[in-house]
Parts: sequence; C-alpha cells; structure tokens
Amino acid sequence: MTIEDEVHIMGQQLHSRITRIFGRSLHIREVDAGSCNGCEVEVNSLSNPIYDIERFGVHIVASPRHADMLLVTGPVTRNMELALLKTYNATPSPKLVAAMGSCACSGGIFGDTYASGGGVDRVLPVDIYIPGCPPRPQAVIFGLMMAMNTFEQKIRRTEVVA
Amino acid sequence: MLKILEMTLKTGIQTTKYPQEPDIAPLDFRGKPEIFPDSCTFCGNCVAVCPSNVIRIKEDNGEMVLVLSYCGCIFCGRCDEVCSGGAIKLTQEYEMASRTKDDLYCIIRRKV
Repeated sequence: MTIEDEVHIMGQQLHSRITRIFGRSLHIREVDAGSCNGCEVEVNSLSNPIYDIERFGVHIVASPRHADMLLVTGPVTRNMELALLKTYNATPSPKLVAAMGSCACSGGIFGDTYASGGGVDRVLPVDIYIPGCPPRPQAVIFGLMMAMNTFEQKIRRTEVVA
Repeated sequence: MLKILEMTLKTGIQTTKYPQEPDIAPLDFRGKPEIFPDSCTFCGNCVAVCPSNVIRIKEDNGEMVLVLSYCGCIFCGRCDEVCSGGAIKLTQEYEMASRTKDDLYCIIRRKV
C-alpha cells in the first residue's frame, strides 16, 4: 500500500467521522469581535431568500451553547477579546472556528495596533480563513461548505521564480 | 389574495444555484489580485500605496522577493491603479477560503 492510498483512506475516515459527529447539519454562532459591520451585512444576507443557507442544513443560532461553529468577524479588539474567549468556552466540543473577512484573518485595514488584536488566530485556533472585505455571500457559502468537507480548497500557495 | 398569489407566481424562484453551478462575479468585481511575474519590475509602487501593508518587497541572498498575502488584503485595487507595467491585476476570483494561512501567500523571486 502506497502513502497516497493511506492518505486517501485516512481522508475518508475523517470525512465519515465528521459527518457522524455533525450529522449533515451545522449550527453557527456569529460573533462580532469589533467588526465594521460590513461582514455582518453579508452574514444577514446569507439567510435571505436569494442565498438561503438553510437549504444546506446550515443554521444561524442565537446562543453559543447551541452552536457547532463560531463565525468570527472583526480584528478582535481589546474590549471583545475576553467576550470572544468566553463565547468559545461556552460552545460545546467538538467545535469549529471560522475567521470571516480580512480583519479576522490577519488584522486587515486595522492592522496590529494598541486596540486591535490583529486577527482571530492570536486568541483562538482557527479552522477556516475566509478572506474578503467583505467576502461575497457566495464566498462565505464556499468557506462553510469547505468546513463541512463538501468542497475542496481551491487556493494554493504560489511561489514563482521569474 | 389572488393578487398576492399572482405576484408570487410571476416572481418565481429567486434563490441562486450557487454551490451546484458556478456563480461568476460581475465584470467590475474586485477579487483576488493576480501577479504576472514577468512584467513586475520590483519598483515598489504597490508596496507604498497598499493600505493594509500586505505587499512587501525584501532582499534575500541576492534575490528580490515580493510577498503578497491575500489574508489581510482589502481588495481596494490601488496596486492595480499604480502599477505602470500592469503586473498586478484584480480578477473576478473570490473562492479563497483556506484551511491554513500559508496557502494564502503569493511569492515572487527574481535574481538581481
């Protein structure tokens, strides 16, 4: 058995494990950690009749205790850091964390300053990065589907010698 | 009530078929910036104008290295505007979700 076969089998096992743990449904708690509200507008539009993520079994819930995934927006300001940690601890395991928007990915336009934390990954372990300022609703759907292992990652590190 | 029913039937289904069918962004959409390595002159104009400082140029062992991270990019398109050689263009690509930060880097090296 080659390494590729082993990796393939491991991937399938992981996939079946995730579907067993989460079922086919994913419940999301959206956390605003100091965002400019651009990302929130896009999250709102996810549940309107045009994008309608409920048809994939993805629900946005009102409490972290009901959630499988935290969708964090904003660069994690000083004031929201503790609140975000408490929300993370209130979410039952197994849990996923998605960083939505450029600010949540690495500080974005706010950068790394006194009041802004410079990204969610400095506070919590992040599973999915969704860059965009704000990301299109389609890009968010793509990220969520990737978190549920329905889609493969498209972007790869490019290194060119010119 | 019949009027409402008529309106509903006329409107039809408005939900996008997005994950099953690809959704192409509008032509003026500012998506993933793409670098054409052969046209790049390492002049540093894009580095100077980038508001979120995600483009960097450094010198490493006699090599010029340009690093672009899609992670903090706000897709303003200033780099596209100032680039004289047209080496950086914003495309309509938006499916950039990634599991690691490392996959969001674009690096170009050139011997001086």
